[in-house]
Amino acid sequence: MTRRGPLVAIAALSALATLPVWISPAGAQQTDRAKQIGGKLVCGVGTSVCNCRQILTQCNHVGCMNSSAMLKTLDQKVAKGDSEEAILQAFILEFGREVLAEPPKSGFNMIAWLMPSFYLLGGMVLVVLVISRWRKRPAAESAGAARAASQLSPEFLERARAEAARQTED
Amino acid sequence: MDVFGSFALILAFVCAAYAFAGGIAAIVTRHPLLIKSTRQAGIATCCLIFLATFSLEYLFFTDNFSVAYVVSHSNRDLSTFYKVAALWSGMEGSLLFWSLLLAVYVFSVLIAYRNKNGELMPYVGMVMAGVQLFFLTLNNFVESPFKALGAPGADGIMNFVARSDGNGLNPLLQYPEMVIHPPNLYSGYTGFTIPFAFALGALLARYPGEKWIHLTRKWTMIAWMFQSAGIVLGAHWAYAVLGWGGYWGWDPVENASLLPWLTGTAFLHSVMMQEKRGMMKVWNVWLVFCTFLLCILGTFLTRSGVVSSVHAFAQSNIGPWFLGFIGFVLVVCLGAYLKNRDYLKSENQLDSVISRESSFLFNNLVLLVLCIAVLSGTLFPVFSEWFTGDRISVGAPFFNKVNISAGLLLLFMTGVGPLLAWRKTSTESMKRNFGWPLAAGLLTGAIAFGFGFRAFYSLICLILCMFVAATIVLEFYRGSKVIRARSGASFAACVIDLTMRNTRRYGGYIVHVGMVFVFIGLSGAAFNRDVQKGMQIGQSMQIGPYTLVLQGADSKPEKNYTAQRMLVEVLRDNKPMMMMFPEKRRFVTNQENGTMVAIYSTLKEDLYVVFAGEDPETNLPVIHAFLNPLVKWIWFGGVVVVFGTIVALLPNRRAVLVLAGAPQPTAHPAGHPLPSSVTLREGHD
Repeated sequence: MTRRGPLVAIAALSALATLPVWISPAGAQQTDRAKQIGGKLVCGVGTSVCNCRQILTQCNHVGCMNSSAMLKTLDQKVAKGDSEEAILQAFILEFGREVLAEPPKSGFNMIAWLMPSFYLLGGMVLVVLVISRWRKRPAAESAGAARAASQLSPEFLERARAEAARQTED
Repeated sequence: MDVFGSFALILAFVCAAYAFAGGIAAIVTRHPLLIKSTRQAGIATCCLIFLATFSLEYLFFTDNFSVAYVVSHSNRDLSTFYKVAALWSGMEGSLLFWSLLLAVYVFSVLIAYRNKNGELMPYVGMVMAGVQLFFLTLNNFVESPFKALGAPGADGIMNFVARSDGNGLNPLLQYPEMVIHPPNLYSGYTGFTIPFAFALGALLARYPGEKWIHLTRKWTMIAWMFQSAGIVLGAHWAYAVLGWGGYWGWDPVENASLLPWLTGTAFLHSVMMQEKRGMMKVWNVWLVFCTFLLCILGTFLTRSGVVSSVHAFAQSNIGPWFLGFIGFVLVVCLGAYLKNRDYLKSENQLDSVISRESSFLFNNLVLLVLCIAVLSGTLFPVFSEWFTGDRISVGAPFFNKVNISAGLLLLFMTGVGPLLAWRKTSTESMKRNFGWPLAAGLLTGAIAFGFGFRAFYSLICLILCMFVAATIVLEFYRGSKVIRARSGASFAACVIDLTMRNTRRYGGYIVHVGMVFVFIGLSGAAFNRDVQKGMQIGQSMQIGPYTLVLQGADSKPEKNYTAQRMLVEVLRDNKPMMMMFPEKRRFVTNQENGTMVAIYSTLKEDLYVVFAGEDPETNLPVIHAFLNPLVKWIWFGGVVVVFGTIVALLPNRRAVLVLAGAPQPTAHPAGHPLPSSVTLREGHD
């Protein structure tokens, strides 16, 4: 592998990681508009009757009194030809922002969307740093650390590990 | 019996306190009698917890409605089967159940190592006693399951009273899986206490070498296996009982069970780096610490009311106790690490980027990213409310978007990692190992695309599944071929022989096969379909190739509930196929409803039929039918994962023979024993 190899691999992995921003997942398969919009809402928020927080179009759990009324309102708005934005806004006015199934991609809540990519990219940088540090580490230093830690000779440890490796090859 | 149970719990608390405090004193003084007495106090703690749990179950079985917990979670008509499950159906009982399962682990460890690892065990015993002490504090002083039922008398003084019958068990819990799902999940949560105790104990004791890892490998795998089984059973319960057509809703309680599973999985992989190469010692110790802390955090999330969940226990003021314990454990772990971090220095260097070592690093990275993403998403509504005053929801669409790509990356690593060699992998070796699997994956993708499989993530998932499956099949094939050439036995016998020669490796591959099945099942979610309709008798609805005809309805009185059943005939290509009976149950004592979904499951798809109640305007019964492709693969994958873990826990057949007959290495004098700090073999203690 050339020196550029790890960079190419990391670039490819990063590209895969950012795919969710560009491509909608399974929800886009739905053709029914009401179902699609209902999939962006949760049920029973802000009421004392139901606090299940399930996706509106999936909510039929026992005892839920809200989903049928909300679904009916949704169907009426879709039938009227309201835009998705207008429908979502109407529900936000009624129930607050909590009715949206995912955080808005604006303001403070944008952090929720950015964090996973940040973790992955930050983690990758960390892994690359660790790998490069491990590769640069002189053999003498690592052997010295082992000796200091375990008080065993490197030859002895090597023999033991070789024996373990023979018997428990992973 | 309630007094007996309370007394047993109090005594258990005293014994645990002695085991903890005496353990610290024993570590300082190294007095043999003190060490022995603290171990015995630990064993006594466990026995007393068994007795207390037995007492509570006895109260359930004898319908003792003078105890508040029994009144709240049982009634006379509740079947014996569910009276067992009533133990963990509420806050107080579930915490006692936590203590019980922890006691089983602690008891096993104390007995198994009573004459071994004398330098390490006092530390391990002290840590385990500390964890037990925390839960026994909750059992005794915060959420006691033995509280008597009281009512204010005419003089205003509380009197003990007894009810003639109880409120009954939550209908959602009256399903067979609820008798096995929580014990599995809790066994996972509590089981991670053992590797935690060994890791912290070894760090505190500066116990040399990788022995602590060797000692805890089996315990970690057992805990991981239970956690995996618990998660899959929980998903199946949600699928079969909640009636929304799905199995995983990224609910905070579901997420809480996933978090320690992810870090536990990372640990099971990275631990090999330490065993083979003496690397990642700091990482492994912190992975164990984090796994344990996430178990406690999960328990906290489900019981504190911090996040809303359909699965959560009733809200209580127990949250600060858990937060305090998490903070205390974190401080202890951090202190132990800072004091003894020089003991955790790595011994080896990395020879090549393309190596097993690197793959483990990336595997751990993806697992940790998934874990942190799920954790931060779960807690984000709380943070958002703190900072903006505006509460938001973080539901399934968010988690799907942020986790799907990382999940696929993990699947890819599952295929790549095991085929890379330790230290360095040559280009030739890569071509040999990856050529066919890659071709198989791409061919599968091309065929699926040709057949109209257009959902992007599902297509990628299918390609990767085939790639990973092909790499594993190739591994089994190559190994078995060598054995067959020597022995001439049948191929199946050679596969078994190969597996038994290195159970850890091939058991691990079987687990990977199980994960491939799970991912195949998940890929089907993109093609789910559903139809909902208010139906008159004789009316029909169409979903996929199936025609559902409502043939009637009936009412079926049972001992504890009345079931209202819909009689749905299923036709395929206009030919009668079967009857399905989705039902709603009305529970007599608590006047609550339950759902029983009718599911016709095949490897290709599930026909999932729900009686969703009556339309309030037309009074017609509403039938909600789903066609969910590939779901059965998920349950099958779960079974394979558990089977693979059991295989990995078995001792190596070959290792036994080697140890029995191999000559001693000549470089060292015969009979010169290896010190306890050196790990030689797997699965034999």
